[in-house]
Amino acid sequence: MSESGLKPQMKYKIETKAVNLHYGSFHALKDVTMGIRDCSITAIIGPSGCGKSSLLRLFNRTNDLIPGVKIGGDILLDGDSIYDKSKDISVIRKRVGMVFQKPNVFPMSIYDNIIIGPKHHGVKNRSKLEEISESCLKQVALWDEVKDILKKSALDLPAGQQQRLCIARALAVEPEVILMDESCSALDPESTMKIEELMANLAQKYSIIIVTHSMEQAVRVSDWSAFMMINEDKIGTLVEYSETTKMFQNPKDQRTEDYITGRFG
Amino acid sequence: MKFKLLGLLAILTSLLTACGGGGAYARVIVAGSTSVQPYSEILAEEFVFLNPEITIDVQGGGSSSGIRAASTGTSDIGMSSRALNEDEMDYWVVEIARDGLAIVVNPQNPIHELSFEQLQHVFTGEITNWGEVGGNDARIHLIAREEGSGTRGAFEELVMADGQFITPRAIVQSSNGSVRQLVSSDPNSIGFLSLGLVDDTVRALDLDGVAATAENVISGTYNLFRPFLYISREAPEGATAKFIDFILSPYGKAILAEEGLIP
Amino acid sequence: MALALSSISALALITIFIIIQGAPIITEVGMFNFIFGMTWAPSQGEFGIFPMIVGSAAVTVGAVLVGVPIGICCAIFLSEFAPVSVRNFFRPAIQLLAGIPSVVYGFWGLLFIVPFIREHLGGPGLSILAASIILGIMILPTIISISEVSLLSLPRQYKEGALALGMTQWQAIRYVQLPAAKSGIVAAIVLGLGRAMGETMAVIMIVGNSVALPQSILDPVRTLTTNIGIEMGYAAGEHRQALFATGIVLFIVIMILNATAQYITRRK
Repeated sequence: MSESGLKPQMKYKIETKAVNLHYGSFHALKDVTMGIRDCSITAIIGPSGCGKSSLLRLFNRTNDLIPGVKIGGDILLDGDSIYDKSKDISVIRKRVGMVFQKPNVFPMSIYDNIIIGPKHHGVKNRSKLEEISESCLKQVALWDEVKDILKKSALDLPAGQQQRLCIARALAVEPEVILMDESCSALDPESTMKIEELMANLAQKYSIIIVTHSMEQAVRVSDWSAFMMINEDKIGTLVEYSETTKMFQNPKDQRTEDYITGRFG
Repeated sequence: MKFKLLGLLAILTSLLTACGGGGAYARVIVAGSTSVQPYSEILAEEFVFLNPEITIDVQGGGSSSGIRAASTGTSDIGMSSRALNEDEMDYWVVEIARDGLAIVVNPQNPIHELSFEQLQHVFTGEITNWGEVGGNDARIHLIAREEGSGTRGAFEELVMADGQFITPRAIVQSSNGSVRQLVSSDPNSIGFLSLGLVDDTVRALDLDGVAATAENVISGTYNLFRPFLYISREAPEGATAKFIDFILSPYGKAILAEEGLIP
Repeated sequence: MALALSSISALALITIFIIIQGAPIITEVGMFNFIFGMTWAPSQGEFGIFPMIVGSAAVTVGAVLVGVPIGICCAIFLSEFAPVSVRNFFRPAIQLLAGIPSVVYGFWGLLFIVPFIREHLGGPGLSILAASIILGIMILPTIISISEVSLLSLPRQYKEGALALGMTQWQAIRYVQLPAAKSGIVAAIVLGLGRAMGETMAVIMIVGNSVALPQSILDPVRTLTTNIGIEMGYAAGEHRQALFATGIVLFIVIMILNATAQYITRRK
């Protein structure tokens, strides 16, 4: 797969090089090569089962948890392989945070949810932790809503707030990249809107990679889009990768066009 | 427990035979000391097996009530594990066996002998170290039987003076067998057992210089023993006499010896 | 339905029977004197079970201290680390542990644990410590199976979420998964407490059954259950009533423990 018109000399935050992924005998991803830019939002789109989430989960090595997984090719973070044997996996996951499809707040207080990450990366000072919690909750625009109930169980929050709390929790460990795996699919439109606004703000500091089912969302929030699809052998491949506006106005690949127009009617 | 079970079996068997036989049948009631009771039950079981036409009914109640029952005729035989006092001398009495009590220690223990007074003080908890009675400097691990057991009753009766009690710190085991097992495995332990159950895994202590042997019990020089008495209002006849003759026969004595008594 | 009713009525009958048998001595001695009395000497008319309450509490707490850390570690191993083949071997093996008759545990304790304590730590060997170790092993199946189920029933997202924050697998278990499974684990501990408190046969053999307050974990004690077990053979009259009364106390304590466990598991 070519690099879809990107200039090779540009520096990428994350680069995948001919990545192949097997779950046991099942070949999930084939030869995915792409570069993801810093301080931008990249959307991965495509029909169900095309390997979008699998690709996303490669970026912070979440797939490692699945027994029988086999990864070929390489993924670079700031030019360094994250699959290098000498790399500390928890450092990589700290640098590349993840927000899941369903809000997965931990069954503990709102405050503890935020500080659990920094605490395990060595921040022991109480006032420093309080500072982190306040600033992260402010970044996700949750501070005013929860500042008086920080000690209450996070499970009591409505889903939209829980998801923003999960984002705040991811921010608390000061990541460089944030992965969002259909993070709005379980939310109502209003919460979705809030989170999209939030993404736009965060993109000034972080590189954000999202997986989404929603074309509209990809168009609304992302700077870059990657379209994936399974090929004739039922293996996930990257079909087209370009600036979002270009892809949606003028898709190069026939399959991309069919998918987009099919969806837009 | 085992004795009781056997006794129950004996009663059941006798009931069955009584129902089935239909011929001449007699019933002997034996009541009294709970220390003698288990032995009476074993004897009764064996006796009934040989004489199915006779039923033996063994009950507890304690020595005094056994003597009273025999005196009033409520029971054919009263059992007592103590000597009769002056008021009770009028009855017909036979000693079926003696129950000797051995004070046992681990064979590794250098102590071979205690005085009677030392023994009392060891079990009241006033002496807690073997050093105080001439042994090693080690804490004494007292092993006693549970409240209500005949052997504990015998110990309290024969060793402890009025107002003396076995210290609550003593370890409590619920059978002669487990006392013996424990003493044989713990070098600093001391316990008491029926004399007949002493074997070479434990050592019976001499008391005031007298060895704990069956001979010394029979001669009366070793005085940690109780007589097991059968009492009747008058000289027994019929089935009662037959039962007592059985007990005093070599076979009956062999059964008692096997159970640890001195016939 | 009929079976359920008959088992309930059997339970009710047992309860009533125990209360009828035991209540007279409690009224005679007085509830306070019975529970807080320091001397148990039925032949002298003294019926105080406080040393046995302390004894039961000591061996039960000891059993939990021994059994809970091991049990939870096993549960974590089985639910998080063990390959399926190992898990399939260990699960039935642990259930088998629950099927071993308690007298076998007691005998094993008497032959190995008791002499070991006597020779290496001192005292008579028959002790709170010996009983705690044996009971700790006996409650393992309860602790392991309930903790494992509650760990396995956690949503996978907790673990993924924790790992995504850069926590190690151990940190994820220790700080996210265990707290999340807390109610199940607490229920496991409480049920283990009940089992340890109620065990009799194994304890009789290794706890020493002294009726004095213990001064160290190397001292022998008597528990509520062993008091009944060891003396019921010959007990009559008030002594017998007092053993039933001991049963009432034990019954109430175990009822409270089981009710607590039920309450904790139902709350979530």
